[in-house]
Amino acid sequence: MTLYLPIAEMSVSVIAFLALGATVGFLSGLFGVGGGFLLAPLLTFLGIPPGVAVATSTSHVAASSVSGAMTQYRRGNVDIKLASVMLAGGIAGSYVGVAFVKMLTARGLFELTVSLTYVIFLGVVGTIILIEGINSSRKTRTAGSASVRKPGQHGWMEHLPFKMRFPRSKLYISAVPPVVIGMFVGFISAIMGIGGGFVMIPAMIYLLRVPTVLVIGTSLFQIVFVSATATVLHAVENKSVDIVLATILILGGVFGAQFGTMAGEKIRGEHLRVLLGALILLVAARMAVDLAIKPGDLFSLASTPGAS
Amino acid sequence: MRRFLSAVIVLMFAMTSNALAEAPGRPKENVEADASTRQVAITSSFTGTEILVFGTVENSVQPSPEAGTYDIIVVVEGQPAPAVVREKSRVAGIWINTTSMQFAVVPSYYAIASTRPIDEIADKAFLDTHQIGFDHIRMEPSGAGEADTDAIETFRQALIRLKEQQRVYVKRDFGVTFIGRSLFRSTIALPPNVPVGPLTARVYLLKEGKLLGQYESRVSLRREGIERFIHNFAISQPLAYGLTTVVLAAAAGLAAAFAFRKPA
Repeated sequence: MTLYLPIAEMSVSVIAFLALGATVGFLSGLFGVGGGFLLAPLLTFLGIPPGVAVATSTSHVAASSVSGAMTQYRRGNVDIKLASVMLAGGIAGSYVGVAFVKMLTARGLFELTVSLTYVIFLGVVGTIILIEGINSSRKTRTAGSASVRKPGQHGWMEHLPFKMRFPRSKLYISAVPPVVIGMFVGFISAIMGIGGGFVMIPAMIYLLRVPTVLVIGTSLFQIVFVSATATVLHAVENKSVDIVLATILILGGVFGAQFGTMAGEKIRGEHLRVLLGALILLVAARMAVDLAIKPGDLFSLASTPGAS
Repeated sequence: MRRFLSAVIVLMFAMTSNALAEAPGRPKENVEADASTRQVAITSSFTGTEILVFGTVENSVQPSPEAGTYDIIVVVEGQPAPAVVREKSRVAGIWINTTSMQFAVVPSYYAIASTRPIDEIADKAFLDTHQIGFDHIRMEPSGAGEADTDAIETFRQALIRLKEQQRVYVKRDFGVTFIGRSLFRSTIALPPNVPVGPLTARVYLLKEGKLLGQYESRVSLRREGIERFIHNFAISQPLAYGLTTVVLAAAAGLAAAFAFRKPA
């Protein structure tokens, strides 16, 4: 069964894209990540124009993070105030990101930028996760790991203005770092078509020193809104969101995610992190190779999604 | 990517065959043609289609379909649109788009079929005038005044090659066949990625390199039904469209979470 996509302007196999959505959903459920970093490159690989791939994948991130955010919220693991402050930055960041995408597309640099940001971010993050996963699975029996949080040790951040109290996280910090982190995550989220959890979670743990129990929920909560904003902005600015493609991917994705979550509960956390790190590095390596290898055809036609 | 032939009824006009046609002062030949489908609808099940262009040579003196007395060229062209071609080169170890050329107007779709290769049918001047054949389409780079002709030619050839790869530029050298002394037909493939917009079908009748007649008709190619609705929605009300996508995504995510919720 094939369907004609109204924005991508091509005919695709529904089964193939349902399967893609389910696979990415399964992995995102398994690892507890948004899965955007896999979806956008895979969509491009299957012939979806890069602009449409990134924009549509942000809507998939919104769908896959909303259920997780809901669960975390019910458990009281969301610091709404901190999330809102980060979100303010996030929305501004995604607005800049979407405008940046528009500008890069006009100059023929969009694909390159996406590939480069993927290689850099996924390379760094994948390496960190992999190393950390390997280390912790080695010393898994020597338990009693010290808490990461060392209250009152924010160093230079102590001196920043606009101090705010975040009672839920038991923090009294300047509003500047959360806003900046949110802005940065919103920016890369719009460019890469991802949620940005893999940047936000370490930033919250190591820079803001948010209690670990609140990190996942707060980050998911903010990802829902940032990806929703990015979707709307891509639709308005670049006319590159394909609702039919989004629906197919989301249908596959939400089911895949549920099974992924179940499977994830059966695997040890450290092993999951090793697998996730390896997967992320694989995607980064694949894109790095594509950048370095001489393309079969040096010439390309600019694609203008949604125009006509 | 299966293409299927759209249901086609070819109406054959009874041809008055005049035995004295070859006598001096016989009526001049001309061509009448049409496309099988005046309207091609792009719906959610669109996977490309074919249109049949058919016609007759009036006052044909061709003794048999195989005689090759006449040459027919069929050109089906999409809306003119600007096109940007980019060229990559290696910068610091990675391949980057470094140079580009914008062509002000090129046909978004161009299909050509003929009874034999076009350069055997007519001379360059004729082909240039009527823009018949990929190499004879007028393509002017916009803006760049100083671009040298070599560069223009390189980019132009790249444009044609890429459009051919996308199957939106199609050429069939023996794609027009006579099925009678005067009746001819040709099928033109519209790929799934055909640019949406009206198409123009032009038919040229030639004999020994001389134009005897030409005919033009239009084929509309437009979105229909839900495709039309969604596309219009996305273009005319992008904010509402984006919000709808988000609501849909959120609803699907919440529904799945609810459906799979562990019995607490």
